[in-house]
Amino acid sequence: METVDKNTAMVTNIQGYSIHDGPGIRTVVFFKGCPLRCRWCANPENLIAQQQIGFLSKLCAACGKCFDVCPHGAIRKDSDIHRIDREKCVSCGACVDACFYGALVRYGEEMDADEIFEKVRRDKIFYDASKGGVTVSGGEPLMQPDLIGRLFTLCREEGIDTCVETCGCVSTETIDEVCGVTDHFCFDLKLMDPDAHREQTGVSNERILENARHLADAGADVLFRLPLVPGVNDSEENTEGTAGFLRGLPAEYRRLELMPFHRAGQTKYNALDMTYDCGGLEAMSAEDIERVRSSYEARDVVCTVSR
Amino acid sequence: MKQIDFSMLKQIDALKLSAANTAWKAAMQASPWSIFADRERWTVASWRETDGEDIQIRRARLLEKILDNLEIRIHPFDEIAGRPTPGVIGCATAIDVCGDYIPSIWNDDGSITATLDATAEIDKESLTILREAAKVFGGHSAQEMCYKAFAEIYGDWPRQIEAAKLKDPSLDCMITGQTTSTLSWAKILRIGLRGYIEEAQAKIDEYIQGDGTDADKMYFWRSAIIVLEATIRHAKRYAELARSMAEAASDQNERIRLLEIARVCETVPENPAHSFREALQSMQFCNLSKMLENPSQNNCHWGRADQYLYDFFLEDLKNGVPLETLASQFADLIARWGTQTFVASSSQKESHQINFGIDNIMIGGLGQDHEDQSNELSYLTLHIVALLQLSAPTVGLRWNFKTPDWMMQKAMRTNMATRGGIPLFENDEVVIKNFVRDGIPFEEAVEWNGLGCVYPCIPTRAEHYGAEGVAAFNLAALLHLTLHNGVDVNHVQTGIKTGDPGTFATFEDLYKAFLAQHKHLLYGIFRLGAIARNVQPKYYRTPLLSVLGIEASMELGQDLLIPHPDFSMYGVSDRAIVDVADSLLAIRNLVYEEKKLTWDELLEALDSDFEGERGEEIRRMCLAQPKYGNDIEEIDSLVKRISDDSASIIKAYDNAPFRNYMIAREGLAWHYYGGLGVGALPNGRKAFEALNDGALSPMRTADKNGPTAVIRSAVSTSFDEVSYASVLNQKFTSAILGSDESIGKLVAYTNAYMGAGGSHIQYNILDTAQLKDAQIHPENYSDLIVRIGGFSAYFTQLSEAIQNDVIYRSEFEL
Repeated sequence: METVDKNTAMVTNIQGYSIHDGPGIRTVVFFKGCPLRCRWCANPENLIAQQQIGFLSKLCAACGKCFDVCPHGAIRKDSDIHRIDREKCVSCGACVDACFYGALVRYGEEMDADEIFEKVRRDKIFYDASKGGVTVSGGEPLMQPDLIGRLFTLCREEGIDTCVETCGCVSTETIDEVCGVTDHFCFDLKLMDPDAHREQTGVSNERILENARHLADAGADVLFRLPLVPGVNDSEENTEGTAGFLRGLPAEYRRLELMPFHRAGQTKYNALDMTYDCGGLEAMSAEDIERVRSSYEARDVVCTVSR
Repeated sequence: MKQIDFSMLKQIDALKLSAANTAWKAAMQASPWSIFADRERWTVASWRETDGEDIQIRRARLLEKILDNLEIRIHPFDEIAGRPTPGVIGCATAIDVCGDYIPSIWNDDGSITATLDATAEIDKESLTILREAAKVFGGHSAQEMCYKAFAEIYGDWPRQIEAAKLKDPSLDCMITGQTTSTLSWAKILRIGLRGYIEEAQAKIDEYIQGDGTDADKMYFWRSAIIVLEATIRHAKRYAELARSMAEAASDQNERIRLLEIARVCETVPENPAHSFREALQSMQFCNLSKMLENPSQNNCHWGRADQYLYDFFLEDLKNGVPLETLASQFADLIARWGTQTFVASSSQKESHQINFGIDNIMIGGLGQDHEDQSNELSYLTLHIVALLQLSAPTVGLRWNFKTPDWMMQKAMRTNMATRGGIPLFENDEVVIKNFVRDGIPFEEAVEWNGLGCVYPCIPTRAEHYGAEGVAAFNLAALLHLTLHNGVDVNHVQTGIKTGDPGTFATFEDLYKAFLAQHKHLLYGIFRLGAIARNVQPKYYRTPLLSVLGIEASMELGQDLLIPHPDFSMYGVSDRAIVDVADSLLAIRNLVYEEKKLTWDELLEALDSDFEGERGEEIRRMCLAQPKYGNDIEEIDSLVKRISDDSASIIKAYDNAPFRNYMIAREGLAWHYYGGLGVGALPNGRKAFEALNDGALSPMRTADKNGPTAVIRSAVSTSFDEVSYASVLNQKFTSAILGSDESIGKLVAYTNAYMGAGGSHIQYNILDTAQLKDAQIHPENYSDLIVRIGGFSAYFTQLSEAIQNDVIYRSEFEL
C-alpha cells in the first residue's frame, strides 16, 4: 500500500482511558485511512484519509442553521430533517461550526506528530500508574510511518510505552521503520483463505501473513487478534488455518485474542450515509464465542476473548 | 508492615450471608416502617418531674427515664441485642429536641411522613402521645430559641437566605447533635462504662476537695454518671428479657442463643469487652443510648472499626471461633446501623434526601507508625457491605501511598458489587497534611474519619460542622444574586446591591461584585452560627454524647454543646464552584470578549429560562463554551481562581476565640437542593435544575474528553491546597470493570489521581436499569460513554437497537 509522505495526518479521535488496546491504561490515537475495506468494520469514519462530515440525525433539531451557512448548497431538507448531499459536500465544516445541537460532526483533524504528542503526554500519570502508554490505531496507522516513527520516538524519550494496532497490509520496509520504536504490536488476522480474505476485505492476505511472520522472526512483541465475525471467520476451517499459521511461528506467538463482532458502528455508517454490510448481523452469543475459543485452545493456541 | 494472612482473605471471599443475617434482611424488607411514640411518653414524664433542675441534669434524667422504661424486644434473628424501638425498622421521634417539628402529627389521617419516601401508619394512642409532647416541648426547643435570637438582630434575613437555598442546613435540620465525633470506641471497649463512671466520680471528689467553685462542672460529671449508669441498666434489662425468654423457650438451641445474649448483656457495656461479640454488643448499647438521647440525625459512626476491633477479631479466631460466626455478628451490627432511621424534619428531607441515617465506616489508612493499617478486618468489612447490598453505611477507604494492592482490588470488586460507589476513596495524605498545617498534631490527625459521608473529622475533637447551621454555602445562588443586584430567586433582597450587571464595564467588575456578595453572605452566616453557639446550650445538652464522644468533656467537666477553643472544630462547605466558573467563563467570552451577546440579551434569556427560539439559541451558545473537566486551561484556571478566592474569604474570617473555619467540599444529594435556589445560569443550565454533583465533577454532559481529562482538570485546580476533601464522582458502565485486568486498570486510575493530589473519588457503576433510564431520559446521560472492543461512543447517540445490545452486554458481563 502507498504510504503518505508528509508531516501530518488526519486524526479522528484521541481516546484516553482505553483499556482494551494493549497493556495498562492507554491513549489510543485513531488515524484516518485504511487499505482494507472489511465488511464488518466498526469505524467507517477511518476508511478514507480525507476529512468527512458526519450527520447525527438523532440530535438534529431541524433549526436550519446548517442549511443557511453551507457555501456549496450541500445540505438539503429532506422532509423534517436535513441530509448532506455527498456529491456537493467538500467537508469545509461550516455547518459543523453553525450547529448548536452537535448533530454535525467533523471526522478528522489534521495534526503533526508534535501536536499529537502534546496531547498524549498529558496522561503520563496514568501510564506510569498502570504500565500503559500510547496506542496508534485507525484506520491503518502505518499508512503514515514517518509520523508514527517521530511520535513514538518522542514517546520513548519521555518514557511512554508504544503500541501499534495494524492490519498488517503495509510494506515490510514500513514495518521495519517503526519496529525499533514500537514496544507492542496488536496484529489483526482476519481470514486464512486468500480468496475469502479478498472477498471480505478487498485485499489478499499474502502480504499480511508475510509481515506477521516477519515480525515474529524479528522477535517483536506481537499479540495476534481476530475480529470474530459470524459466518465470516468462525468456521472450523478458518480456525484450523489460523491455528496452523500460529503454530508455524515461534512458541511465544501461539496465542490469539478474539474480538467478537458488534454492530455499534451502525450509527457512524448512518452519519456518513454509508451502507453497513453487517448492520443486520446479530452479535454472537456467549456460547458461540466460547465454542470458537475452545476450538483454538484444542489446537494448541492460547485463546482469550476481549471485552 | 502488617503481616497479612492471605489465606484468610481467600476464606473471606468465599463467605456468604449467614442464616441470621438473611433472616434479618427478609424481616427488614417485609416489615412496614413504623413510628413508635413510646420514647416520647417518657420524655414528657421526665420533663415534668425535673422541672426546676439544671438543664444538664434535666437532660440526663430524661435519657435515664427513657432507658429505664422503653419497651424492648429481642428478635429471633438477633445475635446482638438492642434496638431503639421494638420494630425491625422503627423510627423514634425527637420532639423533646426539635419541638413541634412533625407537621403531619396534627393531621387526623393516621399516618406520618417519616422520611423522604416513607409514610408510617400510626395509631390514635401514639398520636395523642406525640401531640402531648409537641405541646410540652414546642416553641422552646434550642433551634426555635436560636431563630428567635436571630430575629432579634437580623429580622427576617436568616429565614430568607434559607428559603433561597443560599445556605444549608437550616437549624431545623436538627444537626445540633452532630456536635459529635465518633464515640471513643477504643476506650469504651478497653475500660467499660464502669471505668468512665469511676473517672467521673474521681473528678467530683477531686473537685470538691480542691474547693472548686464552678457548679456547672459538677452538674456535668453528675449528668455523666446518671446516663452511664442508665445505659448499664438498660443492657441488664435486655439480659433479664433474654433470660425470661430462655425459660419459656422449648427449643434447646433457642435457649442457648438467649442465655448467651443474657450473659453478654450482663457483662457489657459495663465492663471491658473480652471478645469480638462483646465488643459489638457494647458498641450497640452505647450507640443506642446516643440515639435515644437524640434520635434525630444522630448517626451511628463506626470510625476506624478495622483498627479498634482487630485485636478482638484475631483473639477470637485464635480461640477457635469460626470466621463465619464473626462475620455474621459483624454483619448484624453493620446492617442494623445501616438501616437506622428516624423521623426527619421537612427541611432535612428536602436538603438531605434522607431515608436512613448516614453512618460511616473508615477502613485502612495510615497509623501512628506512618504505615498503612489495612488488615483482614478491613477486607471483611468490604466483603460484608457487598453481601448486604444496603444504601448505608458509607464506607471510606483511606487511600495513601502505602495502601496495598489487595485492598484496592477488593475495593473495586466491592464497587462492582454494590454499584453505589462503595467504598469511596479519600486521600489520607491530603487530609492529614491539611490538619497538620492547621495546627492539629499528627498523632490526632492520623486518626481522622469521615463524618457521615466525606467530611473528615477527628474523634478527639468536638465537630460543630452543621451544628450551628453552618455547612453548605451555595456559590451558584450567590452568582444568581450577583446577576440580579442582590435579589434572590424568591425576589427578596438577601444580597447586597452590587449594581446592575449592565453597569460592569469589565469582567473583573463582575467578578468583584461576586466576591462582595460572597463575603457579605458568608460572614452573615458565620455570625448567625456564633449566635446559635451561645443560645443552644441554654436549652439543650447532650451528656451521653459528650462523655462518650470526646475525652476532653470529662477532663473539662463540660458538655460538648458548650464550645471550647481547644477542642471545638468548625467547618464550612463552599459548593457549586464549577457551576459558577463555567457560567462566568461563558459571560467573559460571549459578553466581554467576543461580544456575541449583550448583557440585556443574556439576562433576558436567563430570566425567561431560555424561552423561545432565541432563548434556546443563547442556551446553545452558553453550552458550547469551554467547560471544566476537559483539561482546558482557560476554564480550569478559573475554577482554581474561584476556589482560591472563596477559600481566602473563609480563612480571613476571625472566629476567635475558636479555631477558624476549615473547608470541606462534600455533599451527597445537595446539588438537587442547591439547584432550587438558582435560576437559569450562563453555563446553559436551566432554572432550578440540579447543580453539578460533588465539588469537582464536571457539568453533566460537558466532559467530552474522557475520564483522564476529568482527572487532569481536577488536579489542575489544586483544591487539595485549600479543602480537606473535595468530592469527585465518576460514572461508568459495568463494562469498565468487566475483567480482572480492567479492575486493575481502575485501581491504577485511582492511584494516579490520588497520587497527584486528588482528595476524593467515587465511582458510580451504571446498571441495566439506569441504562434503560438513559434511553428514556437521554438528556440526563449525554456524557455517558460506552466502550466496546476498541469502539467508543456516547450512549445516547446510539440507535435504540444498539443501545439494547449495550444493555444486553452489561447484563451479560455481570
